Amino acid sequence: MATESHQPPSASAVDAHTGHDTGHDAGHDHGDDDGAVHVHIASTQFYVGIFVALVCLTIMTVKVSYYDFGPANVIVALLIATTKAGLVATFFMHLRHDKLFNTLTFLAAFLFLAIFIVFTYDDLGRRGQIDNDYGGTIDPKTGLAAPGGLPATTATINDVEGEPPAGPATTPAGGEKKE
Amino acid sequence: MANVSESLPEKAGHGEHAHAHPSFLQHHFDTPAQQFNASKLGMWIFIATEILMFGGLFCAYAIWRGLEPDIFDQSHHFLNKIMGATNTVVLLFSSLTAALAVRSSQLGKRDQTSIYLVITILCAVVFLVVKYFEYAHKFHLGLLPGHCFGHPYFSAAIQNGHEVGTCLRIHSDEMPGSPLWVRAIDESGHEQLLPPRANMFFAIYFVMTGLHAVHVVIGMSILTWVLVKNTRGRFSKEYFTPVDLGALYWHLVDLVWIYLFPLLYLVGKPD
Repeated sequence: MATESHQPPSASAVDAHTGHDTGHDAGHDHGDDDGAVHVHIASTQFYVGIFVALVCLTIMTVKVSYYDFGPANVIVALLIATTKAGLVATFFMHLRHDKLFNTLTFLAAFLFLAIFIVFTYDDLGRRGQIDNDYGGTIDPKTGLAAPGGLPATTATINDVEGEPPAGPATTPAGGEKKE
Repeated sequence: MANVSESLPEKAGHGEHAHAHPSFLQHHFDTPAQQFNASKLGMWIFIATEILMFGGLFCAYAIWRGLEPDIFDQSHHFLNKIMGATNTVVLLFSSLTAALAVRSSQLGKRDQTSIYLVITILCAVVFLVVKYFEYAHKFHLGLLPGHCFGHPYFSAAIQNGHEVGTCLRIHSDEMPGSPLWVRAIDESGHEQLLPPRANMFFAIYFVMTGLHAVHVVIGMSILTWVLVKNTRGRFSKEYFTPVDLGALYWHLVDLVWIYLFPLLYLVGKPD
């Protein structure tokens, strides 16, 4: 295996075909047979073009940030960022011409990240908030003792002077669960 | 493909596509392609774990932002959009040169690969220098968790019994243990009074960008190692896997920053 760089691509182990890849499928099949590494090599101009597109998107996301879309600010910023990340992953990281399984591995990370964030958000939405008067957790929507979390301790309730709060204190959260 | 064996390093082959057992091919792989594909898959699995590691911080960011949108709106004015955008372009450019380094390596142009790798590493240095100036300014303002925002017991301001720097103590006489507010000029030139809870934004900012900066340093180290190997002639058209994987790591660093920049610097109510 020569390491000289002046060999014609067809004679080297690496199938250095640049530009269009139509018509090279036969070469790919052939390459899988001979055991050598075959990769798609894009042109320098192509990579520079991707870079220019990325810079344009960066300028766009900065310009857009001077306008207020309210809650959509995050969505607009994430859409542009995801477009940029897609360009980087597809072309700079060669996923376009890589094995499909590598792409699936990459996307699986985002799938599990989405599960992580959505479930955590869901948990947070259903979790009660700590109520200093009550000493336990209160569901902010209903004002009643929230399920889960630490139950109100008897010590806390006894420490409260005067009448305990009407709703939750009469039925201490988790009181039955402890039995 | 099992006809390639260590005992027959040169002769194993068949027909005009004879392939010897090259020095870079480890003995437990049949072919260079098998070795290459295994390396790539391993790298992509590693990239997935890296995304999940940063994912924990992105999750924390999402939840804290949901809890305190106003704090995030107010605090993000302390980040300089121009410096952030500059760093984004620097990282994008370094990604371009990393991709071109891989391309040169695939074509067997060793000197060109070295040049592209050097440019990539220099871009990483530029990124860290810009980051240093950003961090230094925030340290100066007292936005670092632990100084103005920290527990009063550990705060120099409280221990000395007077206001230090830009920290502002509220109800200091009546409540010695009360938290500190921060009075500082933001990047738009407006004076802002940050409540103690603004700690949330700056904590997640420093942790996310700090972990990213650690990755930048690691990426620089990997690319330097690849550069040294490349100048010693260890890579060729047939074997460029370390260049490819090093560049993949560098693109990952770029990917994370692509999300960090808008989420920290841009999202929020404009002035």
